[in-house]
Amino acid sequence: MSHRRSFFRLSILAAIWLALAFGQAPQSQPQAQSGPATLAVTGDIPTPLTLKAEDLAAMPREKASVPEQDGTEVEYEGVPLREVLKRAGAPLGGQLRGKALASYVLAKAHDGYQVVFTLGEIDAQFGNEQIIVADKRDGKPLFGYQGPFRLVCPHDKAGARSVRMLETLEFVKLQK
Amino acid sequence: MWKWLIFALPLLALAAEPEKAADYQWNLPKGFPKPYVPADNPMSAAKVELGRYLFYDTRMSVNGKASCATCHKQELAFTDGRAVGVGATGESHSRGAMSLVNVAWSASLTWSNPEMKSLEKQALVPMYGEHPVELGLREGDKFLPALRSDPQYRALFERAFPRDSDRFTIVNVIKALASFERSIVSARSPYDRYHYDRDDSAVSDAAKRGEVLFFNQHLSCFRCHGGFNFTDSTVSERNHDRPIEFHNTGLYDPYLAPNVGIYEFTRSPADAGKFKAPTLRNIALTAPYMHDGSIPTLEGVLDHYAAGGRNGHNPNKDPLIGGFTLSPQGRDDLIAFLKSLTDDMVIHDPRFANPWPK
Repeated sequence: MSHRRSFFRLSILAAIWLALAFGQAPQSQPQAQSGPATLAVTGDIPTPLTLKAEDLAAMPREKASVPEQDGTEVEYEGVPLREVLKRAGAPLGGQLRGKALASYVLAKAHDGYQVVFTLGEIDAQFGNEQIIVADKRDGKPLFGYQGPFRLVCPHDKAGARSVRMLETLEFVKLQK
Repeated sequence: MWKWLIFALPLLALAAEPEKAADYQWNLPKGFPKPYVPADNPMSAAKVELGRYLFYDTRMSVNGKASCATCHKQELAFTDGRAVGVGATGESHSRGAMSLVNVAWSASLTWSNPEMKSLEKQALVPMYGEHPVELGLREGDKFLPALRSDPQYRALFERAFPRDSDRFTIVNVIKALASFERSIVSARSPYDRYHYDRDDSAVSDAAKRGEVLFFNQHLSCFRCHGGFNFTDSTVSERNHDRPIEFHNTGLYDPYLAPNVGIYEFTRSPADAGKFKAPTLRNIALTAPYMHDGSIPTLEGVLDHYAAGGRNGHNPNKDPLIGGFTLSPQGRDDLIAFLKSLTDDMVIHDPRFANPWPK
């Protein structure tokens, strides 16, 4: 066997090894850090926002006491989701009619978790659901795997829509 | 006859009157709900104390060689360090001894019995069970007479059950044992100081990163080990009818008898291999792991879940056991987080220790 051939073979083997070692590096490598310090409101919306903790502190706020499945009770505090969307110019109130009703908000977490809310369920004239962009739990800023921002849906029976480590609220209009 | 009934009825009513809720102080920190306690066995400090003496008393076994504490050692968070338990007569159990820490909040007891919801009822299994023999007591044996003839027990039983005309009964023994077990609360781990007291210095940065990974949707550890007690098998005073979850974690295919999971009781083929998710509190002290102790280390457990179980095709495997990729640092961080759940206070607390002189 010539040296050139064996070098070729070795190169192939090295390429396969490299592909196995690094090619499978998952795109979804789990994040070990909590969410970013800002909350982005993006998508098909007039005024995209990048909100910091101090921005949320200056907005209308409300609290909700949430019983957890294991029997514990936690008080969350933050800004109603509809207030955040209102600031971004989402069609709420009198503007929520016709095609605007085919709109939703995609809430995305830092670890890739996603949940959808329709404008209809958020708006006060329709579902009027209490959904809070929370930044405090029992009076203290959210931290670790919870924060710094999360959604809280106090009237949901299950907790799965209460997105932790909330990173982005993406507004999507299905009909324009 | 009727005269006798008229005379006896008030006595029967007195006997059936539920015990009054005593002034037991749980002293639970924030985040810990009040546990569910059966109405016919309210907590009292006197019952807890009697239960502690019984728990550590080897007279509670057929040959005086074992007590509850033989398989539930305080220093190991009330487990025994063995893969499977071994009874007073040397007979091996098919599953490992579960931790009794925070057992007051357990929705069900033992690894895989959906009907075993009461600590009082469960205590009868190690006491009188024959398959396997654990403590090996038998009806009519010397156990109750031994208690009755012991002056220390006479005082303890009198304080615990002051209204009973015959205090030395198995019902009272299991009530006291259950009360002691409910009193074993772990709520002061470094993680608790970090999470509930917001003491950032209580845990390492690695443990903080590990916590975020634990709650990451790709790993989904929290889906079965969530809540304040790190298990989905949790009930409390306010919520004690919660449906109980059991999980097949892909350890075997098939699961061989006697370790067939809740299938043993439900006889539903879909339940084969489904076991309870135990609390992760003090998990670093309770090796080896899984129902049969078949994984020696926490690292091994993480590798098991990262691989999506031992057998990729088990039809009953929980969909959450899908595998994940974890960097070496992520693995170390998760271990650091799990170790932050070790509560040194519960394993040294004299209230839970052996009261008998050595």
